[in-house]
Amino acid sequence: MTSQRLSWKDFLAQRQAVLETWPTGRDVAALEDGLRYQRTIPEAKNFAKAMAKAKAAGRTLLQPRAGVALIDDHIRLLRYLETEGTADLLPTTIDAYTRQNRYEEAGRGIERSRTAGTSLLNGFPAVNHGRDGCRKVTEAVTKPVQVRHGTPDARLLAEIALAGGFTSFEGGGISYNIPYAKKVEVGQCLRDWQYVDRLVGYYEENGVSVNREPFGPLTGTLVPPFISHTVAILEGLLALDQGVRSLTLGYGQGGNVLQDLAALETLRELADESFRAAGFIDFDLTLVFHQWMGGFPEDEAQAFSVIGLGGFVAAAGRVEKTIVKSPHEAMGIPTKEANASGLKATRQVLSMMADQRICADNDIVRREKELIRREVHALMDAVFAAAGDDLVQGVVRAFAGGLLDIPFAPSMYNKGKVLPIRDNEGAIRLFAKGGLPLGDDIMAFHRERLQERSRAEGRPVTFQMVTDDIYAISKGKLVGRPK
Amino acid sequence: MDAPRIVLGVIGADCHSVGNTILDAFFTEAGFHVVNLGVMVSQEEFLDAAVESDAAAVLVSSLYGHGLIDCEGLRQKAVERGLERLVLYAGGNLVVGKTPFEEVERKFKALGFDRVFPPQVELAEVARLLRADIEARRN
Repeated sequence: MTSQRLSWKDFLAQRQAVLETWPTGRDVAALEDGLRYQRTIPEAKNFAKAMAKAKAAGRTLLQPRAGVALIDDHIRLLRYLETEGTADLLPTTIDAYTRQNRYEEAGRGIERSRTAGTSLLNGFPAVNHGRDGCRKVTEAVTKPVQVRHGTPDARLLAEIALAGGFTSFEGGGISYNIPYAKKVEVGQCLRDWQYVDRLVGYYEENGVSVNREPFGPLTGTLVPPFISHTVAILEGLLALDQGVRSLTLGYGQGGNVLQDLAALETLRELADESFRAAGFIDFDLTLVFHQWMGGFPEDEAQAFSVIGLGGFVAAAGRVEKTIVKSPHEAMGIPTKEANASGLKATRQVLSMMADQRICADNDIVRREKELIRREVHALMDAVFAAAGDDLVQGVVRAFAGGLLDIPFAPSMYNKGKVLPIRDNEGAIRLFAKGGLPLGDDIMAFHRERLQERSRAEGRPVTFQMVTDDIYAISKGKLVGRPK
Repeated sequence: MDAPRIVLGVIGADCHSVGNTILDAFFTEAGFHVVNLGVMVSQEEFLDAAVESDAAAVLVSSLYGHGLIDCEGLRQKAVERGLERLVLYAGGNLVVGKTPFEEVERKFKALGFDRVFPPQVELAEVARLLRADIEARRN
C-alpha cells in the first residue's frame, strides 16, 4: 500500500506559495543553496549518521528538549546542554505561535523577550529568525541538531530549518495534527507533510542524509502501544513514499515495564515488516523512547525517579535514542540547570546498564507482544481496506470512521471515543474501544484485565478511574487507586 | 437556583487537551452548566461564549507558558462587552519557567483575574470558591 510521490512540478508550484507566507522565505528560494550548505556540515554533526552509528554500536543516545526566543540565549542553552548536560544530540524546540504559523505573534514574543530579559516564548521561533539565524545556531554547537515542534503545516519551517543546517526534522501528518490542532483537516495536513517529506527526499537524492522522526507519544496520555505504533508505521510509510531514508520511530513510556519492553520490540519488528511488505529495502530504521510524557510529580526527587525508570526501559529496550525529561517537568519549561540534571540522571542509568542485557523473553512479554501485533494488524488492515489505492485517503477515511482514534486528542476530526485505563499491574488497556476495529477476543482480554483491577479496588470501572490514572504518576503512583 | 453557567477553555495557541477534558467532566458532575470551548481559544471566543450563554464565570487554562501574553487585556475587553460582573479565573502552568506561585498570582491578579490556581489544585476547592464568588458577584 502506497501513496503517490508528490511530482517535482507540483512541489515547485507549492513551494513558491509557501515561501511567500513570511519574508524570511525569500532567503531560502534557491534550493541548491541549502544543499550546498548541508554538504559543508561535518559528518559528526549529521543526525541521520549519528543514529545509524548508534544502531551499529548498540548505543542509546541522549537528547533533551529545549528552545528559547532569542538566538544568543538559545545558543548558550544548547552549549550548556552539550557540555554540562553531556547531551549526544541537541534539539531546537519551536515555540507554540510558530507551530500555528502565527509568525506575527512570534515576532512580538521576540520583542517582548528582549525587553523582559527572559524568554516569554516556549521555544525558538525559527521562521522569524530565518535561514541565517538557524545557521548561527547549528554552527555554534558540536552535536547534531534536530527541529522538534508540533506544527501541522511545517512546510516553511522545514525549508528554513534544512537550509539552516538542521539535519533532523520531527513530526508527521497525523502525529503533528490530531494531538496538536483543533481544526486542521486530516487530508490537508497529510498533504502538507508529503511536501516536507518530499523536501527531505530531495536532499537524500542529492546525497545529503536528513533524519525524520514521526512523533511517537501522540497525546502522551495513556495511549495504548498499538495505537501509537499504527500511527508511527503509517507515517513511516508515507515518508518513505516521498523519498525519506533515515526514519526514527517513537514510543512514549507507559509505565508498566513489561508492556513497554514488548512495545519497543514490536515497534521495530512491525515497522520493518510493514516497510518491506510495501517494497522498501533502502531505509534506515531506528527507535526513540520518550521518558514519561504525562504529568510529573512536583517534588524534584520524585521526578528524578520517573526519569530514572525511563532511562532503565530505554536501556533494556535497546533503543538508539531517548528523549529526556527534567525535574522541572511539573512546572513547565525547565531552566538549563534542571534540563542538564535530567540528562545526567539518565546518563548514569544508561552507563550502568550499557554492558547488561535484560532478558525480555518471558511469558508476559510474549503475551503482550502477540497482543500488540494482532491489534496493530487489525488497525493497519482496516486503514488499507479503506484506502483504495491511496494511503492518504485511507488515513482520512479511518479517522472519519473512528477506525483510527487517539485518546484525549484536541482535533475535531478525531472521534475521541477511545478511553484507556490501567489494569491492576499498570499496563494500559482499553475501557472503551469506540470504532477501533478490534475483534471480540482482543476486547475480552482488555475487559478481563480491567475487571481484575475493579475487583481489587472494590469499585466499578468508570471515568473516575481514567481521571485517577491520568494524575497517578504526578501523585507518586502508577495506578490511580481510590483514596 | 439554576446551575451556574461557566465557560471553560484553553487560551491562545495552546493545545493541551487532557486537563480540559477532566475539568469539563468534573464541573459538570459538580453541578455547573459547562460551556466547554476546548483548546486554542481566543479572548474573543471566550467573551462571545460568555455573552451568548450568559455565563457567570470564565475559567481560562494555560499549560504551555504563554499564559501571560495570551491573557493580557481580557478583563478590559470583558468590561467593554458589558460583562462587569464576570468572575475570571486562570489556572495551569501560566508562565515560562519555574516561578514562585505568589509571583504568578500577583501578575495575573494585576491583569484582573479574581483567582489564580497552580496545576495541582484540588478541584473540589475550586468549585467551592467558584460558587461563593459567583454568589457574591450577583449581589
